[in-house]
Amino acid sequence: MAGAITVALDAANYTLILMLVALGLAIVFGLMNVINMAHGEFMMIGAYVVLVCHQAGLPVGWGMLLAPVAVALLGLVVEELLIRRVYARLLDTILATWGLSLILKQSIVLAFGPGSYSVPNPLPAGVSVLGAPYPAYRLFVMVVTLAALGLTFWAFFRTEWGLSARSVIANRSMAACLGIDTRRLDRLTFAFGAGLAGLAGAVMTPLVSLDPQMGLGFLVPAFLSILVGGLGSVAAPLAGATAVGVTDHLVATFFSPVWAQGVVFTVAILLIRVFPDGVLAPARRRV
Amino acid sequence: MPTWAPVADRAPPGAALHLSGVVAGYGQGTELHGTSLSVAAGERVGLLGRNGAGKTTLLRTVMGLMRSREGELRFAGHDLRRLPTFGIARLGLAYVPQGRDLFAEFTVEQNLLTGLLALGGGGRDLSIAYEAFPWLRARRHERAGSLSGGQQQQLAIARAIVSRPALMMLDEPLEGVQPSVVAEIAGALRALCDATGMALLLVEQNVEVVLELCERVAFMESGEVRESQSSAVVRANPAVLDRYLGL
Repeated sequence: MAGAITVALDAANYTLILMLVALGLAIVFGLMNVINMAHGEFMMIGAYVVLVCHQAGLPVGWGMLLAPVAVALLGLVVEELLIRRVYARLLDTILATWGLSLILKQSIVLAFGPGSYSVPNPLPAGVSVLGAPYPAYRLFVMVVTLAALGLTFWAFFRTEWGLSARSVIANRSMAACLGIDTRRLDRLTFAFGAGLAGLAGAVMTPLVSLDPQMGLGFLVPAFLSILVGGLGSVAAPLAGATAVGVTDHLVATFFSPVWAQGVVFTVAILLIRVFPDGVLAPARRRV
Repeated sequence: MPTWAPVADRAPPGAALHLSGVVAGYGQGTELHGTSLSVAAGERVGLLGRNGAGKTTLLRTVMGLMRSREGELRFAGHDLRRLPTFGIARLGLAYVPQGRDLFAEFTVEQNLLTGLLALGGGGRDLSIAYEAFPWLRARRHERAGSLSGGQQQQLAIARAIVSRPALMMLDEPLEGVQPSVVAEIAGALRALCDATGMALLLVEQNVEVVLELCERVAFMESGEVRESQSSAVVRANPAVLDRYLGL
């Protein structure tokens, strides 16, 4: 029983982080039709911001607060210098952001070397969840990711920015005719998506080893999540992330991580075959 | 009936639209060949012409959805050629495109709220829309896509007026609307203009409604405004209609 609870909590942990990454990717794609291949690197840079803060002698928690802000600012710069020049050219966005991901990875190699780093766990204590011992930090990660997801939904469905963003997703030129500054919205939304990735990278730092390649390990399942869930609503990538994250984690735990990759891809291909628009496609009206 | 006035700081009461010698088109093609047209403050102008005469292109060019290559485009003293589409909208120009372009997945109320975004943020006051079309209030939580064609058109007009525009441009608002609803929509438009002093630039195939609603009619042919007459003159001399609309 205790073992089952631990496995379930671990799966939830992984899935929530995956949701954060996939959501940022999906919002940017939905709004701007930009496929951001550098999204994993935004996550990686969020992790390195925590590392830099730690090396500077600041508490790890400070790094985690700073990372999403820093990566969002990086997103602003990237949008201005690169992304806005390739809007409306889907293939070019893939090439341009892939190039960006290479540049970001190589910059980290130049600054920190290719080796891996680790950051100490700020909450090393353990707690008991329904009788199962569980690391307190992992619970903290779940709380932070749930809060970030909740905040994103609130912003999307309850604020003027969200109404503008949903209008632009639904019909860009009509939104402009209603007086929505689509340019400013693109800029802010790209920064917001980058910030979500930065946060995901930051909260993971005490749990994983940091290296310049760490982004890819999340980019691929995040793309799969979007393919499986579809883009019909903001909830769809979350459903996809649940399918991908839970499958991956359970198979990796009970069989092996290698099998997990194979099973996740097979399940994803089957789901996409059966639901070409994503498993939540019938619920698309809710956006 | 609503008693609001157009937002004065955005579009002064004397706000007028002037196009002169406008050349525009998609890609290499040219659809407006030096078009000139003026709409005075509070004036209601109908734009008539055969399919492909350039009426929709003209409206889209005013909104900056298409960029003019030559000529002058001014509204309330502002050079529209230098402004992005959202900036043009914020001057007090509202546009109801052909096919309405409602946000079908949004509720009625959410659609109306998007209309307020032209005011540059703030405000959730939709009373203008509910006064003009009272039935909208009862159905405000319904999905816009679930409304009938005529209702959707009324919602599109309501969405355009919540920002209190000085000029509303409509592209075939009566297309696909049941005959019984045509009079209702035309009546609402007239009442809105009368009550608020809002100007109107109306592209519509229903000549009868255009002549009744508008003070002046401009005829387009081959991407140019060829002639402009008061509605009374056109009524007295319907031959002009045959020239520009007959097959």
